Amino acid sequence: MIRREIPKWLFLALAIGGVVALLVSYELLSERQTKINPKQTTIPSFAKLNEGLQKIFQPQGTEENPKPPMFWNDMRATLWRLLVGLGVGVSASIVVGVLMGAYRWIEAPLSPVVMFLSKIPPTAMMPIYFAVAGTDQRMFTSMVALGIFFSMAQSIYQAVRDNVSDESINKAYTLGASETEVIYEVIWKQILPNVIDCVRMQIGPAMIFLIAAEMVVSDAGLGYQIRMQSRVLNMNIVFVYLVILGIIGLIAEFGLVWLRRWLCPWFEEGAR
Amino acid sequence: MKRTFTSSRSLVATFMMGMAVFGIATIGCGDSKPPANSGAANSGAANSGAANSGTVNGGAAGGGSTVTAPPAKFTLAWSEYPSWSIFGVADEVGLIDGKAGAMGSIEKKYNIDIELLLASYDQCITLYGNSQADAVCITNIDILGAAGSRNSVAIMPTSTSAGADACITAGIKSIDELAGKPTRGLEKSVSQYCFERCLEKLGKNPADFPFSQMDPEQAAQAFQGKDDKIPSIMVWNPFVMQSVRSRNDAHVLFSSELIPEEIIDMVVVGKDSLGKKGGSDFAKVVVETFYAMNQRMNDEKTRAATLIGIGARFAKLELEDMKTVVTQTRFYSDPKDAVRLFTEEKFQKETMPLVSKFCVKYGLTQAPVELSFGTGKGVMDFDTTFVKEYLEQPKK
Repeated sequence: MIRREIPKWLFLALAIGGVVALLVSYELLSERQTKINPKQTTIPSFAKLNEGLQKIFQPQGTEENPKPPMFWNDMRATLWRLLVGLGVGVSASIVVGVLMGAYRWIEAPLSPVVMFLSKIPPTAMMPIYFAVAGTDQRMFTSMVALGIFFSMAQSIYQAVRDNVSDESINKAYTLGASETEVIYEVIWKQILPNVIDCVRMQIGPAMIFLIAAEMVVSDAGLGYQIRMQSRVLNMNIVFVYLVILGIIGLIAEFGLVWLRRWLCPWFEEGAR
Repeated sequence: MKRTFTSSRSLVATFMMGMAVFGIATIGCGDSKPPANSGAANSGAANSGAANSGTVNGGAAGGGSTVTAPPAKFTLAWSEYPSWSIFGVADEVGLIDGKAGAMGSIEKKYNIDIELLLASYDQCITLYGNSQADAVCITNIDILGAAGSRNSVAIMPTSTSAGADACITAGIKSIDELAGKPTRGLEKSVSQYCFERCLEKLGKNPADFPFSQMDPEQAAQAFQGKDDKIPSIMVWNPFVMQSVRSRNDAHVLFSSELIPEEIIDMVVVGKDSLGKKGGSDFAKVVVETFYAMNQRMNDEKTRAATLIGIGARFAKLELEDMKTVVTQTRFYSDPKDAVRLFTEEKFQKETMPLVSKFCVKYGLTQAPVELSFGTGKGVMDFDTTFVKEYLEQPKK
């Protein structure tokens, strides 16, 4: 029967089984590939992956020009770009989204523009970013920020319209709240969980834009390293980096869910 | 009533999704091999129908051929580059047929079916290194990285860079002015190798000249767009040609002309593939095709048409541009010249060790790749057997 409960221990066992099945099938695939070509690096064995893991923490560069281990170098570059881009994009979209939801005369001119631009895939606009914003931090920031801005502004604006009832706004006015107080105390506080969920949803797309851009123009970062290492067929490093990307995604996901529960305990997914 | 309605609607939706998937798959197949399709259409005309017959029956339908076994199948991954686009043109004129299951005249001679895989250069390396292709068109620098995951045999050099890789600057008139200013190009590649070697030749220390990562196409575009943060780029053709032309202040500071016969474009076959049944015949087909095309290129009557054909498969360049390109990318048109290169001391004792050192320095390989020249002992072997066999063939 659909949605019939299963015991908790069974659920846990099946969850572990899924992960184990993934690892085992990977290992089998790797062994099969090694049988075809003993020198293969396409699907590295776990021993090779471990080598890759060691390697990313070793100092890089040449003797006359030493560089830090690639992992820290790439993580610093990528995370900084991501955080700055997200920061700018999220704050801008909150301001625009809330104002659009609050004032009809802001909503009217902006909503068609925002709606249209949110439909263009930012990766397709990459050549424009390169041409307009150059190739340094400014380009990554504007790419991530604008990449998430339009769809986030759109969702926040809708959250304000749909989730904040006229009654609560009227009540606040009746109790003598000023316009800024209504926006902060009523609108902002009510849509905060939606905003956090929105950020959670946008981290994936933001990573896509960032990694894609890093593969083309950058001399550090996870995207850069994945491209360069796959070019020289060091797939063991590529796989380790993919796992790292997965972990970053999981941390962001759980972190934001926890943040939402902590900031807005009154809000539960089911209650929407 | 409502139930029936919903279920029929979902049926329609499922059907439409299925159609969409089918459509995407069909479009994908059609798109992935444009040269093969056009080749099939043209080869019939070029060979007055001979190439079209016997696609399934192999040699049996060839008329008078004694070969009855089905042809052995091999794949060659190539990217658009002057001396490699030749294979695309060979497909067009019917010497080989790049589609699996169809054969051109040289393929028939050896009963070998070659599938041409057109991809970007980086993808070609990955295809080859991960054993998705039997052979690849690659340079003597990148192959050392790939040889780390697959024992390889270079069966012939196709061309050498004599100006096709260049450092182009704007507002920087001398090498000394370039010191400390960033040059953009692809790291761990021919570009970086050429950059460092040229600086060494000019008596400079490469450590004083920062080189930072950027895709060559993007670097060229940014340079052409007069991005003042990008005063210097190190790229390959067609970007060299385009960038020099695009701005009046663009200036070739130095180029691979300084390091003759160090950057070699080649065809490399995996040792495993060469050992397969028909492997050496496959190598012979590739070699014969290359020289047959070179003859067409050097023959006055067919020169223009061949160059136009290559140009169409190399950044859509026109005839005049192609005439410049072939001076910057010098073809090994003469098989004797190819044998000379692979067997001479300079290549074996100077060039390849230098390349090997570069690969270790930048982590393309962990340790120096074991090289051999015709003995077959090394992880990377430079073998002239097939070119020599071609030379010994009785000529028509």
